[in-house]
Amino acid sequence: MQKIIKGLLIGLLALSIASCSKTDNYPGPNAAFKGRILDKTDPKNGNFLTETAGIQIKLEELSWSATPSPQTIPSKDDGTFEDTQLFAGHYRVTPMGGPFWPVAGVELDINKGNNTHDIAVTPYLKIVNLAHRFEGTTLVMTFKIQAPVTENLPRLLDVQSFVNVTKYVGNGATIPQYTSDKTMQKIEANWSDAIAQQTFEIRVPDIKAGRVFFARVGARVDDSYKQYNFSEEIQVQLP
Amino acid sequence: MNSIKYFIVLGIAGVLFACNKLDVKPLNIIQDEDVFSTENGVNSYLATLYKALPIEDFYYRNNDGGFNRGWEHFWHPGALCGELSGPYGSLGEGAYGFGYWPYDNIRNVNYLMSTLPKYAANFDPAKVRQWLGEAYFSRAYFYFALVKRYGGIPIIKVVQDYRTPMEQLQVPRDKELDVWNFVACDLDSAALLLPETSQRGRANKYVAAALKSRAMLYAGSIAKYGAVNYVDGEAREKGFVGIPASEAARFFKQVWDAAHLLEGHYDLYTRKMDDKVKNYTDLFLDASSNETILARDYSLTSNTAHSWDATMTCRYMTADGLSRAYPTLELVERFTGPLPIVNPDGTPRRFNNPAEIMQGLEPRLLATVYFPGATLRGLTFDTQRGIYEHFSGSAEAELGVNPPNMPFRHLANNTNVLWPEVTGRRVIGFTGVSTDGDNTTRTGFYVRKYIDYNKPMADCGLYKSTQSWIDLRYAEVLLNRAEAAMELGNSGDATAIINKIRDRAGAAPLSGPVTIDSIRNERCKELAFEKQYWWDIRRWRIGDRILDNTRFHALLPYYLNDEKKFIFLRELETFQRPYTFDKRFYYEPLPGGELGKNPHLYPNNPNY
Repeated sequence: MQKIIKGLLIGLLALSIASCSKTDNYPGPNAAFKGRILDKTDPKNGNFLTETAGIQIKLEELSWSATPSPQTIPSKDDGTFEDTQLFAGHYRVTPMGGPFWPVAGVELDINKGNNTHDIAVTPYLKIVNLAHRFEGTTLVMTFKIQAPVTENLPRLLDVQSFVNVTKYVGNGATIPQYTSDKTMQKIEANWSDAIAQQTFEIRVPDIKAGRVFFARVGARVDDSYKQYNFSEEIQVQLP
Repeated sequence: MNSIKYFIVLGIAGVLFACNKLDVKPLNIIQDEDVFSTENGVNSYLATLYKALPIEDFYYRNNDGGFNRGWEHFWHPGALCGELSGPYGSLGEGAYGFGYWPYDNIRNVNYLMSTLPKYAANFDPAKVRQWLGEAYFSRAYFYFALVKRYGGIPIIKVVQDYRTPMEQLQVPRDKELDVWNFVACDLDSAALLLPETSQRGRANKYVAAALKSRAMLYAGSIAKYGAVNYVDGEAREKGFVGIPASEAARFFKQVWDAAHLLEGHYDLYTRKMDDKVKNYTDLFLDASSNETILARDYSLTSNTAHSWDATMTCRYMTADGLSRAYPTLELVERFTGPLPIVNPDGTPRRFNNPAEIMQGLEPRLLATVYFPGATLRGLTFDTQRGIYEHFSGSAEAELGVNPPNMPFRHLANNTNVLWPEVTGRRVIGFTGVSTDGDNTTRTGFYVRKYIDYNKPMADCGLYKSTQSWIDLRYAEVLLNRAEAAMELGNSGDATAIINKIRDRAGAAPLSGPVTIDSIRNERCKELAFEKQYWWDIRRWRIGDRILDNTRFHALLPYYLNDEKKFIFLRELETFQRPYTFDKRFYYEPLPGGELGKNPHLYPNNPNY
C-alpha cells in the first residue's frame, strides 16, 4: 500500500512539474526602431533642437488591432530616438508632444532586426543670433526669434533661459533659480514683424563663479503642448 | 438476479419523478417583488443608489479609485491645483483620474425606472413620483460626473440585456453637447416629480435645481472657454469633446433659472453673526443649517465615520493619524492681497507674537485657515520655521540668495533641537515647520474648514469624525447664479449676490465694479477646500495658464534671537514642487479597460 501511495505521489509530482514547463511560442520583442528627428528648415539638415523626452514618437501597432493602445518612444537630447524592444509588425508612426507643426502619421512595417526611419518636422520658432556675455555675476543672453511658418502660428507665450551643469539642458533639466519667473520674459502676442525684429535679452543673475554651465534659451507658442523651441546649448563659465 | 427488477422499478420511478417540474422560486435570490412591493424595499434600493452617488466628499480623491477611499483625506484635489500644498508630486498623479465608469449604477437606476411602475399600484402615487424623481436625479448625477471627466460618453437609458448581439451592446460615444442636454433633461424631470421637501440626505425639487445650476455652469463654461482653449484631435472634430460656443448663453440661462428657483427656500447661514468667525466655522458643523441643500452624513455605528479631524491638522492637535496637505499662501492672498510682513524700507516687519498677523483679517479667512498663533483644543499653532541669530537687511536680499542659507539661520528636523544648544529655545514648533517630511505644515498654515473644534482631542482619531459633508449649499448656488448672471451681462444681479456673500463672510462690499475675475475670486474663497476648485480651473480653461511649472508659496515665521521678535518670510513651500497642467488634462482619458471592451468608444480624447 505504502509503495502504491508513494508511487502515485511521485507520479503526481512529476505531472505537476511537467505542466509548468509550457513554452511560450510567441516571438519576443525582436525588432529595433530608430531614427533622427530632422528640422525641415535647417539648410544643414541637422537634427531638431530638443531635449531628453522633448518629443514623443507615437507608435500604434495596427497589425495588432485597429484601435491599439499607443506607445511612445521619447526623444534623446540630440534629436534622435531609438527603441530596441519592439514587436515586429505594421505600425503608424506619429511624432507628437513637441514644438513643431503637427504632422500626420506614417504607416510602415517594423521588421525583425534593425529599422531606421527619419522624421522631418517644421519648428514653430527658431532662435537665431544667440550671443552671451557676463555683467558682473549676471549671464546676459541676446537673441532673435524667427518663425518658419507665420500663417496660423499660435500666440507666442514667452522666452525662458535654461541652465544646467551638464550638456543635458532643457525644460526638464535645469537649475530652478536660473529658470524662474524672474528669468522668463512674457510675449503674450501674435506673431508680428516687430517680434521678428526685436532682439530679446534674458538676464540670469547670481551665476556661481568658476563653474562650467551649459545654457540655452527657449521660446514657445500656445499650442496643445506648450513646449519650448530651444537654441543650441552654449558653454559658459564665469571666471 | 431479483435485484435487477428493483433497479428497473426504481429507474422508472425516477423517470416519473423527473416529470414533476421543479418550478419553485429560488429562496436565495431577492426577487423584484420582494423589493418593489414594499416601501422599505424601495427605500433600501434607493439607499444603494445614494451611497453610490459620486459625491466628492471627505473621502474623495482624484486618483486611485476616487470615491470611498481610506482615511488619507489629505489626497485632496485642491493639492493638485494650488489651493493646498499636498502629497501629489505632480499633476500627472491626479489629472488622469481613476477610470470612473459607473454604468453598473446607471443600470440600477434604469432598472428602477423600468420596474417600479409595474408595482405602482401598491403605493401612494405621490411616493412613486418621488422615487422616480430620485431616480432621475441620481442618473443625472452619474452622467454629470462622467461628462465633466470625459466629455461625450454613451447615453444608456434602458436596461441592456446580455442576450442582445454584442454589436448593439457596444454603444458608441454620444456628443458632449448631447450628454449635457441629457443631464439637464433628467434634472428637469427630477424637479417635476420631486416634492418640495425631503428627508435629510435625499433629493427634493430644490436639490435637483441646485445640482442643475452646478452642471449647467460647467457646460456653459466649456462652451465659452473651451472654444478658445482646446486640444485638437479626432474626438473634438466629431463633437465628443467640446461644445459650440453658441450654446454658452443657453446653458448660462439655465444656471440662472435653476439657481433662482431656490430663492426663499434656502438662505445663507447667519445664526451667529455677532461672531462672524464662529458663524462661518459653524456653518459646516451645524447639522440644522438652513444653508445645507444636500448633505452626506457619517456615523460611528454604521462604520462610515471619516478622518478629517485626524488628517487636516497635525498630530499635535489630534489623537491619531497625520496631516499632509496645507493651504498655500496664494490662497490666503486671495483674501488679503500681500500680507503686511515687510516694512516700507524692505526689512521684515517685527512681530511680538506671530498671532499678530491675524489682526484685521477677514473672518471667513480665519474660519477657513489656521494661521500661526491660532488655537485649537486649547493648543496653539506654534508654527516656526527656524531661528535667526540676528537679521539685518531686507527680506528680498535674504530670499534672493538661493538657497537662503546664512550661517546665522538655524533650521531643524525635530522639536528636540534647541538653539543655543542645551539652554536655548526650540528651533521649530510642534506644528512645524520641519526640514524633514510633510507631517507638519509646509506652508505655515493648516486647514480649518470642517474641523470640529469642539471635539476633545482624544476623539480626533482615524474614522472618528462624524461631521456631515455638505455637497450642495446655498452659497455655491448663489455663486453659480452670480457667475451666470455676469456671463449673461447682468452685472447688477451679480454684484448684489457677491455683496450678500461678502457680508456674511465679514468682508467689505465690492469696491469697484464687479468683474468675472472678482466673481471667480469670491468663489475660490467661499468654496475653498470644498473640492470645487479643480473643476473650476478645468471649466474656465485656465489650468494650463496658472499651473505652468508653478511653485507655491509659504508664510514662514522665524524667531530673531537677539531682538526677541518674530518675522515672516514669503518663501516657496518647503518641498518647492512645480506643477504643470497639460492642456489635454481638460479631459481625462477614457478608461483603457472600457476601450478594450468597446471599440466604438474610440476615438479617445485628444492626445491620449
